[in-house]
Amino acid sequence: MRVRVLVGIAAAAAALVLGAGASPAPAAGKGAVCPAAWKAGWVKLATKIGAPVYCPTWMPNPLDAKIGGQYEDIYSIGKDRSYLVSFLSHGDLGSGDVHVNFRGYPGRMTIPKCDTVTIEGNRVVRGTTPCFADANGTLRVGSIRATLYTVNQDADQWHLLYAWHLAGSLYTVSEHVIPPYSYPQVVHNLHKLMHSLVLVEPAQ
Amino acid sequence: MGLTRRQLVAGAAGAALGAAGIYELADKLSESPSRSAAAVPLGPRPPEQHVLDGVPVVVENGIQVVVPPRHHLVVTATIRPGVDVATAQPQLEHALRELESRYEQTPAGLGLTLAWGVPYFDRYVSEAAAAHMPFDRRAQKPALLPTRTFPSDPDGTLLEHNDVALLIRSDRLEHIEDARKTLLDELAVFDAQSLRRGFVGGDLPRRLAVAAGVPGSDLIPENSELFLGFTSTQKAGLGPRRIANFETLGLVELRGGYFRGGTHMHLSHIFEDLEAWYLNFAFQERVDTAFRPGLKVAENVQTVPQGPKQVASTKEVERDFKLAGRFGHSASIQTSSRLLQDTTGEDGTVYVKGTAIPQRADFNTLDNPFAWSADPTRDQVVSDAAAGVHFVVFNPSSDDFHRNRLAMDGVLPDGTTLPLQPGARGQGFNSVLRTTHRQNFLVPPRRSRSFPLAEL
Repeated sequence: MRVRVLVGIAAAAAALVLGAGASPAPAAGKGAVCPAAWKAGWVKLATKIGAPVYCPTWMPNPLDAKIGGQYEDIYSIGKDRSYLVSFLSHGDLGSGDVHVNFRGYPGRMTIPKCDTVTIEGNRVVRGTTPCFADANGTLRVGSIRATLYTVNQDADQWHLLYAWHLAGSLYTVSEHVIPPYSYPQVVHNLHKLMHSLVLVEPAQ
Repeated sequence: MGLTRRQLVAGAAGAALGAAGIYELADKLSESPSRSAAAVPLGPRPPEQHVLDGVPVVVENGIQVVVPPRHHLVVTATIRPGVDVATAQPQLEHALRELESRYEQTPAGLGLTLAWGVPYFDRYVSEAAAAHMPFDRRAQKPALLPTRTFPSDPDGTLLEHNDVALLIRSDRLEHIEDARKTLLDELAVFDAQSLRRGFVGGDLPRRLAVAAGVPGSDLIPENSELFLGFTSTQKAGLGPRRIANFETLGLVELRGGYFRGGTHMHLSHIFEDLEAWYLNFAFQERVDTAFRPGLKVAENVQTVPQGPKQVASTKEVERDFKLAGRFGHSASIQTSSRLLQDTTGEDGTVYVKGTAIPQRADFNTLDNPFAWSADPTRDQVVSDAAAGVHFVVFNPSSDDFHRNRLAMDGVLPDGTTLPLQPGARGQGFNSVLRTTHRQNFLVPPRRSRSFPLAEL
């Protein structure tokens, strides 16, 4: 049984739980670059929002991170320049869903709040809740100190999510816990993803 | 990839009835608790079958917590065709006394409780039952009723018709196995219908579930008593020693007293969706739904006070629901499970307002839904491990249990029904629970535990 809450991002800020901001630096090893086939989309995104974004150099099988490619599911930029880029494979041959989300909130340090709307009988119950909650440890990768959140909302519901700061902005990457990937495998995937990130600057 | 229960019992696959299976891993992952000899008051056994002596109490987060036996087994059974219950009665009693000669009725020894279902009383001792079965004065119904379903039960919940259930508890698996062999293998009076195994406490819920590869098990807090992360055996939240006896609170007419010292037992199996619980409910929402909305609990605290002072009234539950659109599991049940006023028991014991009436004996399980079934198709037995609870609780009557269970679904004792769809997120734990089986039983006192009424 999978319980779903309909949510949307609200502007209100939640208490800040994340670690201190990091200096601009990629997570991936020295010399790592955004793969050539994916780079144009990430540069375009960075340019559009006027802030750096993180491009992965590795993705869980079978996904790639080509914006506009076969696995792109959501490409959304808000009025506040926050973005959600989502890659999804339904595994049409029965292999299961693989779903990875990247978010960025330029100029924002706090965890956003999500609207909750639950339908209870004939009654609509509205509320808000932190979009990312239940911190469950941290991961240091290069200059990034990311916090793992296990209870997340909106497109990140049922996902494990790492969130971190860079130069006054909040970034996240998350993956859905669903077959074929179990919780430990998603944790492993997210560690690989975090270690694969490279920073992409806006075009001049 | 986690192990299936079948893989874990590979070494004992040929002896399905005897295989403790995955639960043997418990003693490999974590040592059995050492219980101090001083904590075990040896003496005459209590007249009640369902009472354990020597159960230690520890203090967690400043709260007294009862430490139940580590291992549990429930055997449900029918009486073997051709068995004459009057003849079998002394045989069963002899076997039980043999076991009692080997073990104290303590967690370190062996807790044995025989509970009898409506089919036994109807088919084997109906005339005597008509004269002696206890009667619930409040409900104006027999104290033992056929079980029923509840609003949040799924359509497929099986209402069972076993003659008897044997609840066997110990810190030692070998003690449980000894009892099982003695009562089922050596004594040819019962045909087992199911074996239901499980555990409580220590660091077992997380470690065993992770070892079995149960989805969501990695998110179970370290050292939590149960899969869902909160302690449930706060001393102040459990019924005191004799409160669930038929005679104690005066709810039940004993009609001659044959069953004085007895009680009622409900047995059910419930799946728990750990992923839904831990990936969709943040800690505060888990507190809200497990206890009551808005309750202030420090982050990741597992043991929350559940004494008389924390009891929620019906009006408070209704108010919480109006404000928050939800109610808490504990709070809603407390409207019917706690004493509404100071009450003096039949033996003179004074129970203060807010005292719990039910005595819980539930335990977590990785059975899916049973460790073994005589009819795996009927019971939909699957070999992969699944998180769940074998819910065992003692109340003074079936109706008393039914009132509590209805309150859990928002049907409060004052007649108010909180308007939530069955299994809705706002309905406490219900959105992550799925009940598969239910049955009510009567637990006779120790002196008449063996084929009750058969001698009359």
